[in-house]
Amino acid sequence: MVDLTQQLEDQVQHAYVTKTPLKIQAGNTKAHLGRETSGEVVDMANHTGVVSYSATELVIRVRAGTKISQLNDLLAEQQQRLPFDPPSFNGEATIGGTVAANQTGASRPWFGGVKDSLLGLGLINGYGEAMQFGGQVMKNVAGFDVTRLQCGAMGSLGLITDVSIKLLPEFKAGHTVTFEMTAEVALEAMLRWANLSLPITGMSHFQGLLYVRLQGGDSGVTSASNFLGGEQLNFVAAKEFWQALKEGRLLQPTSNQILWRWSGASDSPISAVSNTSLINWAGAERWILETGSNPPLEGLTQHKGGDRLAQVFGAVSPPQQALQQRIKYAFDPHGILNAGRLYSWM
Amino acid sequence: MNTLSNTSNDLVKQAGEAGNVAALISDLQQLLPASGLIMSTESQRPFECDGLAVYQQLPLITVIPETVDQVQGILRLCYSHRVPLVPRGAGTGLCAGAMPHAEGVLLVMTKLNKILHINQHTATARVQPGVRNLALTDAAKPMGLYYAPDPSSQIACTIGGNIAENSGGVHCLKYGLTVNNLLQVTLVTIEGKLITLGGDGLDEPGMDLLSLFVGSEGLLGVVVEAKVKLLPRAPRVQVLLAAYDSVTAAGDSVAALIAQGIIPAGLEMMDHLAISAAEDFVKVGYPTDAQALLICELDGTDAEVEEQLAVVSQCFKLHGAKNVRVAKDAAEADALWQGRKAAFPAVGRISPDYYCMDGTIPRSKVGHVLTRISELSNTYGLRVANVFHAGDGNLHPLILFDASVDGELERAELLGGDILTLCVDVGGTITGEHGVGLEKMPQMPYQFGDAELAQFRRLKAAFDSEELLNPGKGIPTLKYCQEYRSLQHG
Ligand SMILES: Cc1cc2nc3c(=O)[nH]c(=O)nc-3n(C[C@H](O)[C@H](O)[C@H](O)COP(=O)(O)OP(=O)(O)OC[C@H]3O[C@@H](n4cnc5c(N)ncnc54)[C@H](O)[C@@H]3O)c2cc1C
Ligand SMILES: Cc1cc2nc3c(=O)[nH]c(=O)nc-3n(C[C@H](O)[C@H](O)[C@H](O)COP(=O)(O)OP(=O)(O)OC[C@H]3O[C@@H](n4cnc5c(N)ncnc54)[C@H](O)[C@@H]3O)c2cc1C
Repeated sequence: MVDLTQQLEDQVQHAYVTKTPLKIQAGNTKAHLGRETSGEVVDMANHTGVVSYSATELVIRVRAGTKISQLNDLLAEQQQRLPFDPPSFNGEATIGGTVAANQTGASRPWFGGVKDSLLGLGLINGYGEAMQFGGQVMKNVAGFDVTRLQCGAMGSLGLITDVSIKLLPEFKAGHTVTFEMTAEVALEAMLRWANLSLPITGMSHFQGLLYVRLQGGDSGVTSASNFLGGEQLNFVAAKEFWQALKEGRLLQPTSNQILWRWSGASDSPISAVSNTSLINWAGAERWILETGSNPPLEGLTQHKGGDRLAQVFGAVSPPQQALQQRIKYAFDPHGILNAGRLYSWM
Repeated sequence: MNTLSNTSNDLVKQAGEAGNVAALISDLQQLLPASGLIMSTESQRPFECDGLAVYQQLPLITVIPETVDQVQGILRLCYSHRVPLVPRGAGTGLCAGAMPHAEGVLLVMTKLNKILHINQHTATARVQPGVRNLALTDAAKPMGLYYAPDPSSQIACTIGGNIAENSGGVHCLKYGLTVNNLLQVTLVTIEGKLITLGGDGLDEPGMDLLSLFVGSEGLLGVVVEAKVKLLPRAPRVQVLLAAYDSVTAAGDSVAALIAQGIIPAGLEMMDHLAISAAEDFVKVGYPTDAQALLICELDGTDAEVEEQLAVVSQCFKLHGAKNVRVAKDAAEADALWQGRKAAFPAVGRISPDYYCMDGTIPRSKVGHVLTRISELSNTYGLRVANVFHAGDGNLHPLILFDASVDGELERAELLGGDILTLCVDVGGTITGEHGVGLEKMPQMPYQFGDAELAQFRRLKAAFDSEELLNPGKGIPTLKYCQEYRSLQHG
C-alpha cells in the first residue's frame, strides 16, 4: 500500500525540463514484448494498493502497480471478478501494465475488453501533470474519453497512476465441453453458437479440438451443456487449458520463430488466415506460429519473437499516423514517455 | 426547399466577413445540388435548435449532403474558408450540442441513411450515420438480432448522433452504452480526409482512438460510416414492477440488488410525480399512490430468468416493496414499459415546459440525492419529477417550469446547476449520456481541474487546430474557465 504519485510526478516534471527519455516499467517480466524502448526507468511496481473498494457498488479503484493476482484474490473474497479476465503472467502483471497493453482473456466476445470495464483513471502526462479522468460511476460522458484512450497506448501518452474498474459477480457454475473438429467445422459451430444467447465465456480451437466454456448460474450452465453435447472436460484439465490459453503458454515461439496475432471479423474463412495454429474469441482472434521473420499475411501483429525494433504493431495509414503523432504531442510534447514503444515514429 | 435567394445576401452582409462567406456559398453551390442547400430564414427555422429548445440560433447556411464525397467536400470548404461547422443528426440531443453557429455551416447528416450491410454470422451491421436507431433494430429483427443501445428517443435519433453523444438507453445497464457496442467508425476530418478507427476485429493494436472519438460531440470529426455490434434476442424476457412508499426504500432496493450480483437488463425508477403523470397519459395501471416505482427487466434463457426472478422479487420485498407485479405476458410487459418510455412527454403534459438533467451518481447515493433534490425543489419553488436509469445511477430529474413566467427559466437553470454540482459532490458526474454541449459548459470547471481541461483542449487541437468543428461546445476555453471561477469566488 504505497502512494508514490508525488514522486512519480516529480520524476516526470524533471524529465520534461531536462528532456530525458523515460521508460515506464511495472512487472517488467515482459520487457521483450511490444517494441523496445530505452530511457531512465520509471518504476510503477511499488505504487500499489487499493484506494477504495465498494463491493456493494461493484467498483474498485486501485493504484497501477497492484498485481492482477492480488486483485483477483481480493475480489474472490467477495465473490467478484474482473470482467475482462486478464492474464496475470506468473502473478507478476500489474493492473497498470494490463490496461496499457490492453490485455483481455478468452471471454472477450461476451464480457468485453479492458475498455468495457474501465470507468476512470489517473494519468501523469509528459508535462508531469497528474490528472483524473472518468470516475467511479457507471456512465460518464463529460469531456473526451481520455480514460479508454490509454488502452493499448503502451504508456506512450502518460503514466497510469490508478484505475477504477467495474466488477462483476463471480460465476456460480462453470463447465467446459470439447468437440473433435477440424478448424473449418469448428469455426462454423462457433459462429452458430455465439449468437444463441448461451452462457458461453470462451470458444477456442486448438490442435483438432474445439473448447467451449460455459459459465453462469447453475441451471443456465447445465441446460446449455445439455444442449451443446460434446465431451465433458474434467475440472483440472479445463482450468489448465483456459489458464494456459490466457497466459500465452499454448504457443511458445522458439528462437527462430515468431508468434503472429490476427484480429478480424469472426466469419473470415480459415483459408483467409492460412496456417492458423490457434483460434480464439470465437474466430475473431487467430494466432500463427511461423518459422522465419516474414509476416505470413498483411496486417498482423508481431506478438512475440523476431526483431523487436520492427514495426511490430503493424502499418498505419498516413492520416492516422499524423493524427496519432499529434495526439502524442498533445500529451507528451517532448516525446519523453516510452519513445518508440508503440511505433518507431512515436 | 429554398435555394440561394435574396436572404442569403442579407446573411452575407450580417456575417461581416462578406468575402469569405460569399466565396464559401458559391463553392457550396458548385458542390451540392440545389436541394442540398438551405438558405432562407424560413426554411432554416426547423434547424435552429435541438431537443433543448431554450437554446436557439439560426446558422449561416444549412447543407444536406447525400454522399460521403459531398461531406468531404463540405469540410474541405469550411476548412479552406475557415468557417465553423456544426454536424447534426436528428436534432434530438438534449444539451444544445447540435445548435447551429451563427457564422457557420450546419451539416445535416440525415440523408446518409442507408443500412449498408447486416452480417448475421458475426452479428454486426455497417450503417451510414443518418440511420435511425430503431430502424436498425427493425432491420435486424428478421435475423433474431437487435441493436442494444436504445435511447428513449430511438424512434428518431441517428446512429451518428448516438456515437457523438455515447448514448445509452434503458438496456445499457447490462449491454452497455454506444461505446461498448461499436467496432469501427469512419470519419471525415476537418481537412476533409477519411480516417477509419477500430476494425473488423474486437481489439486492434495501439491506443483506443475509437473510444476517444465516441462521445466527442461533433468536436473531433464527422461520422460517415459505422460498424456496430448486434445482439441475439434473448429467448425469454420478464418484466417486474415494484411499488414503494418512499424513494429511499426504492433506492436501497436497487443498491441491494446490484450488491447481490444481479445485473438486470434494465432497472428504471420513477417517483410519485412521474408515476401520476405517466399513468394519466398512458393508463397502464401504475399504482398512483406509490411514492416510487421500480421497473425491472430480466432476460436470458428460461432457466436463467426463473432463477433470477425469485431472487429479485425477494430482494425487492425485503427492502420495502409493498407490491411486486410480474408481467404475465409480452403485452403486459410492453404496457409496463410504455409508461416509463412515455414519461418525458407525460411530464410535458402537466407543465408548459420542463428541463431534463442527466447527472450520474454512485448507486448507493440515490436515496440521499433524491432527498436533497426535493429540498432544492422546495427552495426554488419548482416541481421536479424523477424518472431515471436507477440501475446505473443515471438520474434524469425533470424540472417543471413555465417559460412565459418572468424569471422561471432562469430559476430552472439555477436549480439544474445545483443538481449537477450535487452529483459531482457525491462522486458523480454532470452528464451520464446526454453530453455537455452548450448547456453544461458552466459545470465543466466544477468537475474538472485546469490541467484536465487544458489536456482536453490540446486533444481537440490535435484533431481540429483551427477550432472549426462545433466550436464553443463541450470543452470550455481557458478564458471561459477563468471567468467562471471569478464569478464563483467573486
Ligand atoms: C503484444 C504483447 C504481448 C504479450 N504477450 C505476453 C505473453 O505471451 N506472456 C507474458 O508473460 N506476457 C506477455 N505480455 C506482457 C503482458 O501482457 C503485459 O505487459 C502485462 O500484463 C502488464 O504487466 P506488467 O505490469 O508486467 O507491465 P510491463 O511489462 O512492465 O509493461 C507493459 C507496458 O505497459 C506500460 N506500463 C506499465 N505500467 C504502466 C503504467 N502504470 N502506466 C502507463 N504505462 C504502463 C509499460 O511501459 C509497457 O509499455 C505481452 C504484452 C504485449 C504488449
Ligand atoms: C424524448 C427524448 C428522450 C431521450 N432519451 C435518451 C436516452 O434514453 N438516452 C440517451 O442517451 N439520450 C437520450 N436522448 C438524447 C438524444 O436523443 C441523444 O443524445 C441522441 O444520440 C442524439 O441523436 P441525434 O441524431 O438526434 O443527434 P443530434 O441531436 O442531431 O446531435 C447530437 C450531437 O451529435 C453531433 N453529431 C450528430 N451527427 C453527427 C455525425 N454524423 N458526426 C459527428 N457528430 C455528429 C452533433 O454535432 C451534436 O453535438 C433523448 C432525447 C429526447 C428528445
